[in-house]
This record gives sequence, structure tokens and C-alpha cells, in this order.
Amino acid sequence: MSSLSPTTTAYDLKHAVTSNRLEGLWRMMTGFRLPYLGATVSLAIAAGARAAEHFLLRYFVDQVLAQELFQKLWLVVVGFVALAALEGGFSFLSGRLAAYTAEGITLRLRNYLFDHIQRLSFTYHDHTSTGELIERCTSDVDAVRRFFADQAIGVGRILSLFGISLAALLRLNVRLALLSVLAVPILVLMSIFFFKRVSRAYEAMQEQEAVVSTTLQENLTGMRVVRAFARQDFERAKFQRDSWEKFLRGRHFMTMHSLYWPISDTLCGLQTLFGIAMGARMALSGTISVGTYLAYTGLLIWVIWPIRNLGRLIVNMSSGLVSYQRVIEVIAQKREPLTEGRYQPDGDVRGELVFDRVCFTYASGYRALDEVSFRCQPGQITALLGSTGSGKTTLVSLLPRFYDYTSGSITLDGVELKDYPRHYLRRQIGIVEQEPFLFSRTIRENLTYGVHRKVTEEEIEAAARAAAIHDEIMQFPKGYDTLVGERGVMLSGGQKQRVAIARTLLKNPRILILDDATSSVDVETEHLIRQALQHLMRGRTTFIIAHRIQSVMNADLILVFDRGRIVQMGTHEELLQQEGIYRRIYELQTRVDVELEKEMAHVGVL
Amino acid sequence: MSEYFDEEEEKQTQLSPQTLRRILAQTKPHWKWVAGFMASAAVVSVLDSVFAYLRKMIVDDAILGGNQAVFAQALLLYGGTILAQAVGVFAFIYLVGILGQRIEYDLRCAMFDHLQELSFDYFNRRPVGWIMARVTSDSERVAHLVTWGLLDVTWGLLNIATAAVFMYIINWRLALIVLLMLPILLVVASQFQKRILSEYRRVRRLNSRITAAYNENIIGVRVVKALCREEENLREFSELSGAMYRSSYRAAWLSALFLPTVQIISALGAASVIGYGGWQTQWGTITIGGIQAFLSYIGFMMWPIQDLARVYAELQHAVASGERIFSLLDTPPTVADKPGAVEVDNIRGDISFEHVYFDYDPETPVLEDFNLYVKQGEAIALVGPTGGGKTTIVNLLCRFYEPCQGVIRIAGRDYTTLTLHSIQSRIGVVLQTPHLFSGTIRENIRYGRLGATDAEVEEAARIAGAHDFIVKLAHGYDTEVGEGGQLLSVGQKQLISLARAVLAQPDIFVMDEATSSVDTLTEAYIQRGMEALMKGRTSFIIAHRLSTVKRADRILFIDHGRIVEAGSHAALLRARGRYYQLYVQQFQRELERQQDYFLAAEGLHPTTERTESTEGI
Repeated sequence: MSSLSPTTTAYDLKHAVTSNRLEGLWRMMTGFRLPYLGATVSLAIAAGARAAEHFLLRYFVDQVLAQELFQKLWLVVVGFVALAALEGGFSFLSGRLAAYTAEGITLRLRNYLFDHIQRLSFTYHDHTSTGELIERCTSDVDAVRRFFADQAIGVGRILSLFGISLAALLRLNVRLALLSVLAVPILVLMSIFFFKRVSRAYEAMQEQEAVVSTTLQENLTGMRVVRAFARQDFERAKFQRDSWEKFLRGRHFMTMHSLYWPISDTLCGLQTLFGIAMGARMALSGTISVGTYLAYTGLLIWVIWPIRNLGRLIVNMSSGLVSYQRVIEVIAQKREPLTEGRYQPDGDVRGELVFDRVCFTYASGYRALDEVSFRCQPGQITALLGSTGSGKTTLVSLLPRFYDYTSGSITLDGVELKDYPRHYLRRQIGIVEQEPFLFSRTIRENLTYGVHRKVTEEEIEAAARAAAIHDEIMQFPKGYDTLVGERGVMLSGGQKQRVAIARTLLKNPRILILDDATSSVDVETEHLIRQALQHLMRGRTTFIIAHRIQSVMNADLILVFDRGRIVQMGTHEELLQQEGIYRRIYELQTRVDVELEKEMAHVGVL
Repeated sequence: MSEYFDEEEEKQTQLSPQTLRRILAQTKPHWKWVAGFMASAAVVSVLDSVFAYLRKMIVDDAILGGNQAVFAQALLLYGGTILAQAVGVFAFIYLVGILGQRIEYDLRCAMFDHLQELSFDYFNRRPVGWIMARVTSDSERVAHLVTWGLLDVTWGLLNIATAAVFMYIINWRLALIVLLMLPILLVVASQFQKRILSEYRRVRRLNSRITAAYNENIIGVRVVKALCREEENLREFSELSGAMYRSSYRAAWLSALFLPTVQIISALGAASVIGYGGWQTQWGTITIGGIQAFLSYIGFMMWPIQDLARVYAELQHAVASGERIFSLLDTPPTVADKPGAVEVDNIRGDISFEHVYFDYDPETPVLEDFNLYVKQGEAIALVGPTGGGKTTIVNLLCRFYEPCQGVIRIAGRDYTTLTLHSIQSRIGVVLQTPHLFSGTIRENIRYGRLGATDAEVEEAARIAGAHDFIVKLAHGYDTEVGEGGQLLSVGQKQLISLARAVLAQPDIFVMDEATSSVDTLTEAYIQRGMEALMKGRTSFIIAHRLSTVKRADRILFIDHGRIVEAGSHAALLRARGRYYQLYVQQFQRELERQQDYFLAAEGLHPTTERTESTEGI
């Protein structure tokens, strides 16, 4: 069984999207329906074997004992063991098949979701909170798993046990059988009624548990504040209050349980008592044999007692349905086609870009770019200058087709950008973000993250040296094998940035996008990053998102943005000739020197 | 998002009897509940055997013996037993349930209490997630052991014992045969449970890694896309999810195998009862009802075995949890009140560091023979490179740590002769990354002085320069700040933490200035708030801004744990030393920033480049 890997059963979960939730869950089972059917049939066989044991017991009492056929005794013994083995064997088989189904479906779902997330568009990610998405991929997937592993099969187990035991009872004696299930409808309703409340009580308890957890976490992360204000007693009182509420809610939850079980026990007990009384009277009057009576009392238990759990399963099933809904909402989102494109070039791009009246409007209706036109030659440096929200970031996001422009045209080497496959473009473009994201892997793995070829140790080191980060890496005890992030070393902003620069150097793209971030690091680091960037830009078509005029002076073309439009364009020298924002900013520069001089004179240094 | 820490520390420890005893001792204050649930569990399990015996009576005496009186009596007793058992079941579920909740509550409060006393060296060595796991999951596991675990053991042992007694009464030879099976069952069950539990633990660990993988893939989706890592990532992830599949599949089928195995072993017992008992009926040593009762009793003996095996398997981990809890509780705080420490109502006066040595770990000393004398009311600015020792000086002053050698005096007294409370309640601290608690802005400011009226809170906010932006928010002072203050910008958080410090009316003011850039307007507000706080107070500022530095009475340039340069702004500039270099660089950068057309355009809002894409919403 385990050799049958469920990944081989390829099924595009997109097809499981439907408004009918039960049908959706059924489609999700594609490829697993046969094992699932097997699990259900096995359950029925196991229940049948159990029922047969009681018939054997009747035979034993009525034939072997009553008629003293002791030579047949061994038959009974062997039969009993054989039936038990049959029952055990098939209930194991059923459990195994159910597990295979549930885990297989879950594996497929997990992999699909993981892949789906990285193929969803930026527009989707912009509007979705991380926590929410993770919740859907983990808790909700687990709820779907439990639906298949526990609830669906559990309901099947109870129903088949009930059905087959009832059928057996009916064979023993119809009247007796019918009298034995009087309490069943009440029991079913009662268990659903109770477990709805139990699950509410449970949720309330879990909510409070989350509150306690938050209080604790805030206390621990804010320990310095707590101590600095000597607020320990206040914090203790707060934690005690929250925990006490959790205690109260837990008590309520347990009270629900402590009421349900004895009440349902009593109901089941009374039904059993009633059955025993009726059965015994019939046995006394000779309507049924002693063996039948014994088989009857044995089977009676299997008709009634499992029903108590039915409500729990049904109530939990509904949460599985809700979770299915939440998961399928993610799956229903359209993926970004990565390899589709009319133009599939073999080699690298040269990097000549022409923007012609490019407009871009976000899904929200916000017009981020308005009629932007300019051109840049291969290897040129283009600087984008402007305040936050002026459209700089949006503009560079169009190049790797993170978003597609709404109107106008962008051509790369004379071919419309939209004709290039996204993957091709993205391999040609390197991005160094202002706050680069590193993965919690080793530094080496982070450096080679975007490289789709074998990279030698020398190459990695050379890139790190060029990015002025090698020496710092070597200072970590594990060097390049140092783990980055929470479980490893926390890198400073400047270090992260240089790792990202080295990562991009290794990727060796033809087009470069730099989000200039030197404003948030200290002076020495700024110098290092500048050097590293110089190294990186050599020979590549480069776009710099600049926040300060110092970063743009060497650019071949400077674009000054304001509210989605280019308001000024030219080289540093050209722009200085013009009346406009650029010159006003630049003139501040000279003021700095004057001011410093004044300051020094003031304290008497000069 | 803190629920997935990888290290669950599920190491199998030797069962330590002391720890187990100490765990059990947790129930001591609630011994009445324990006695109550154990007694009711005992009643329930005895009554289970009574049921079977009554059924035997009905078969043997009523049906086969035709005794109507016994029949009526048995039915009546049966009914009574049902009711009695219901009461018992109610009692034990209720008592065990609330006891479990209560013990969890007790343990959590005890740990939380102690955490408030522990010193920073403890927190520095342990991630927040690790401590949280101790308080949340370890306490739950220990509580589970002393309640449901104890219940299962009581109930299981009593069930086996009463079943054994009843079987002995019915037929002792047959009873012996059945009892022989117990050890076999016990071994099988405990082997199973051990494997199942360890598989489930693997599942849990993998699960947290899967969550982490999703998390990273979502947060880093831009980089993933930019670097075209989709296929490679999926390949890596499917290795992880494949491992998860194998572990959970294995755990599930092991569980599926366990029950049938127990069933088949008990069936062997039942078969021998039928065989041997059936043979014996010839001589009347056992009745048909007796055989039926035996079949029930086999069930009563077999089922508890599973529970016992499970409790045994869980026991080791619960004890390990207990050990971690107790080790937390037993850790003494390294910084604590000395015997006879004095509570004083103010700590105004001169402050001196005399030959202070300090290190976080002995191999890398941070301060060596550090000396400093600060007059009451003096404003000290600490400048210098990161890691030079500025923060350490402030930490020592706040007595978050104590010197390894040497003395710190406040108003002439060694500060270790004072209570921690009298020092820390009189120091106002504003941290570099301001920490707010979830709740409203008002609650956060009031943290500085719990008894403050609304008017005082607002007055403090006004002084700190926070009032203007607060009233512009939709709910004003009642705006929720979100978990950790995440709904506010860094600048806003800093203003609120300034207001909090203002409200505390401290004798000493300590501030670690933020390095991250806030917009010019917020910056001006923060400066005003700081000025208000520094007035008339001894202040220590770890400074990153020139305006702050210039305002100080004395500037200390700290590097390698030493005061490299000290003096007034003018004096240090004239010296043309390291301060001079730092100042010139900083001056250029700041002026550029202040006058930068673009930066000035950014307002008092949480702004990052990324907001650009959602700006129109």
C-alpha cells in the first residue's frame, strides 16, 4: 500500500471548485474514491463479523450447551477466534485505507496550495493578509483532513455498526429489535443539540486561550517596559484575570461534557434495561431461546451506545465544510501564467527599453502611472526620483510583469513586454529591495537562491567579496553556513542588503532594479553598500529608485516623478539648467556646507 | 504567529521520582476534588462489574431458574445502578475537568509570577517562544497527567481489580486463565503506544515546519517570483509534505492496528472461556450466565489496559514537561532585592559609576573599570558606534543588570542596598523600538501611572507632543493600538511611549533614540517631548540626532566600553576628535534629510514604499 504514492494521482484541484460543498469534497477525493469505498466496505465486513460472533454465541448456548454436543465445542472456539480475526483484520484494513485516503488527499492539497500561492498574482497578495492565508493553508487544511480521516469515516462506522447490528437484531426477533431502538432518534437529536453547544463552548475557551497567549507574549517581549515602570503587579493581575477567564470558560466546557455523558448514559442504560426486561420475559415465556437472548443482549450494546458519538461527528463535520469553503476560495483564484508568451527568445536581452504613454491603474481604481514615456539604451542607468506614492515603485514593478500596464506600450529590444513569458523576463531582471527579504536558510543558500545552475564555492565567495559582505560572513562562527533569521543570526539592515546584492550578482541579470536604501543605514555601511552597488551596475541596464539626490547624479537619465507623471527628465547637468524641482533640491546641498561652516564658527572651531 | 516554534524539546528523560512527586503535589491544595473524582471513578468502575453480575443473575436465576422474584429484583437493581452510575460519571467528569483547568491556571500563574522576577540574563538566553511553550503547553500536559492520567489509572486498576474479584467469585480457574493474558496485553499495548506517540510527535514537528514554509513563501512571495524559484520551492516543499504524509500515515495505521490487536488478544481470552467454560458446564461448575458475565469481564479488563499503556507513554513526557516547569520556577533571579534593601520614595541625587566591570558572558567583557560621575539634573548624551557599550551603561543604571564588580551609587548609596522597585519605579524609560501593549492609546499612556485620571493622561500626551495626532485618529484616545502597537507608525509609538514616561514623573529619564527615520514633523514633536522630560531631571540619552546631542550638558563618546571623549558639544568639536568626525557626517546627512523635498512630503503615517501599491484604497 505504501508503495502507492499518492503524488502519482495527478489531479488539478482547480476542478474541485464548486458551490456545492459536499460535491466539492467528493471531487477532492478523485483518485482516492476506490480506497475510500474499500474502507467503508471493510467497516461493514468488520461489523458483520462482530454480529456473527453473537450468532455463534447463540449456537454455542442453544446447540452445544443445551443439547450437550460437546464434541462440537472446538468448532465454536475456532469459529470465535476466526470471526474475531476477521473483524480485527477488516477494521485494521478500513483504518489503513481511510488513513491512506485522508493523508493522500491532504498531501495533494498541501502541495497544490503551496504551489498555488507562489503563482497567484501580486494583485491578490496585495489584498490578502499573511495570517489569513496561512490560517487557510494550515488549520483549514487540517480541518479538511479530519473531515476525511475521522468524521466522514466515523459517521460511516457508526451507521454501518448500527445498520448491521440492527439487521442482526431483526433476524433474531423483529419485535425485540424494534423495541430496542426506541431511544435512538432521541439520542441522535440530543447528541446534535449538545455538541453544537459543546463546540461553541470549546471555541469560546480557545479564544480565551489565545488572549492568554497574547498577554503572555506581550509581557515577555515588553519585559523591559514592564521592569522600567515596575509594573510587575499590574501585569500579574492582568495575566491572572485573563487566565481565570480561561478557567471559567474551561469549566463551562467541562460542565457541558459532564452533563452530556451521564444523561446519554442514562438514556442508553434505560433502553438497555428495557431491552433486557423484554428479552428476558420473552425468554421466560419461551418465545425466544436462551441463546437468542444472550446474542440479543450482546448486540443491543452495539446498536445504542455508538449513537452517542454521532452528534459530535456531525457537528464537527460542519466545521470541515466551512474549512473546505475557505480553502477552495484560495484555489478558485486565478494563477499567473509564468511560461506563456508569444515571443520566446533563446539568449539574453540587450536591455533597450522604450516606454510609450504607459498608464497603470490598480484594481482599486487608483491611477499610479499616467502617460509615462521615455527610453533607455542597453547598459544605461536610469534614476527615478520622487516622493512616496509618486509612481516609482509601480513603474519598475511593470518590468518583470509583476503587474501588467493598463494602456500604452513598453517594448524591450523592440518586442512588446506583454509578449515575453514572465519567467523569461524575471530571469533577465535582478531586484535589490530597500529592505531585502532573506529566507531562514544558510547564508550560502540565500546567496544561491535565485541561481538556476550549479554555483562553485569560488563564485559565491567572489560575489560576496564584490558585495563587501565576505569579511563579515567569515566572522560568524559557521561562516557561509550560518543560519539567517530567528533561529540563527539576525543580520542588520545593511548586511541584509549586501547579501541581496551578492545574490543578485550571482544571478547575473541583464536588467537591474535598485531600491536605494542607503538612507536607513549608518555612514560606514552606506559607503560599503555604495561600493557594492557600483560593482553590480557595471554593464547592466539599471533603474534606481532614489530617495536622495546623491544617488542619482551619475545616472544617464533622471526622471522626476510627481503623482504618477514624469515632470522632469534629463541628465544631472541638463536638469540643473532648468527651473524646477530638481534644481531646488540640489541647491539645498550647497546650503548644507554653508550651515556646517556657520555651526563650526559658532562653537569656535574655525 | 508564535505558535510554531520548531524546538519542542521532546527529549525522553529518565523518569525522576522526585519530579513525579512534585507534579502530584500540585493537586495538594485541591485534594478534596482529587478525592472526589477518584471516589466517583471507583464507584463507576465497580458499578460496571455490578451490571455484568446482574445480567448473569437474570440469565441464571430468572430465565434458566425461573425465579420471578429475583428477576424483578435484578431489574430494579439494574435501574438503580444506572442512576447511581450517572451521578458518578457526572461527578468525575466535572471534577476532573475543573481540576485540570485549575491546575493549569495555578501553574501558569506561578510561572508568570516568577517570570516577572527573573533577570534579563534569563530572557536573553531564551527565545520568547521557548518560554511561552513552557507556560502554555507544558502546564497543559502536566495538568492533563494529574487529572485524566490519574483518573485513567484509578479507573483502569479498579476495573481490573473488581472484574478479577467477580470472576474469582464465579469461577476461579477460569479467572486465572484470563488473568494470565494481562501481562501479554500490557506489553503489546505499551509498545504500540510508545511508537504511536513518537510518530505523532514527529507529525507535530513537521507540521510546525510546514507552517513555517507557508509563512516564508507568503511573506517572501515577491522575492520568490522575482527569482523564479517556484519549481525549486515546490520540490523542496513536497519533500517536507511527503515526510509529513509518511509520518501521519504511519501514525494513523499504527493506531488502526492497535485496537484490532487488543481485540484479537481478548478474543483469544474469550475463546478459552467459551471452550473451557463450555466444557465445565457438563459438571455444573459454571453456568451460561457465568460465561456471559466472563465475556463482559474480559472486556472490562482489556480496555483499561490500553488506557494504562497510554498514560504510561504520556507519563515520561509529562514528567519532562514538569521538569522544565520546575527548572523555570527554581531559577533564582540574578538581580533581586538584597536582604534589608530599603524602599525609598525618590532617587534624586548624584549618580556615580565607580570601577564598574561588566560582561554578558565572561569571555567578552563589555565594561572594564568604568567610571562616571553625573550630577543631579544633568543631561548626558551617549554617542558612539553600535556595540560600544552605550546600552549596557543604561541597562546597568536601570538595574536590569548589576555590575560584576564595582559600585553604582545613587545619591551616595550603593544602589544594590535599595529595592528594585524603588529604583525602577522612579526611572522613566523610552526604548528605541517602543513597545506598546494591545489596548487603547489611553491605557498605554496610563501604564506610566496607573492611578492617573483621563485629564492627566491627556496632559501628559500634550507635554509629550502626542496629543495632536491622537485626537486626529478616528477614536482619539480610545483607538486600539493592535497587538504590539502594530496599527501605529514607529513615530506614533515613540510619542506614546514618551507620554507614558511623562506621566510616570520619573526622577531619572532614560531614552534610547530611534535610528529609523521618522518624518520631520514627528521628529519635531519627539524633540519637544524629550525636552519636556529632560527638564530638571537627570537624563541619559543614547543619542542619534544632533539636536539631542546639542541639548545635552555633557556628551560621552563611548567605544569598547570606555569613555573615549567627554565634554560639552563645543568643547568636543574643538578637540576635533572622533566626536567631531561623527558630528560632521551626521550633520550633512541630517540637513540633507530635513530639507529633502521628498522626505518632507511624507506625513505622520506608517509609510513604506510598499504602501504605494495599495495607496488608492
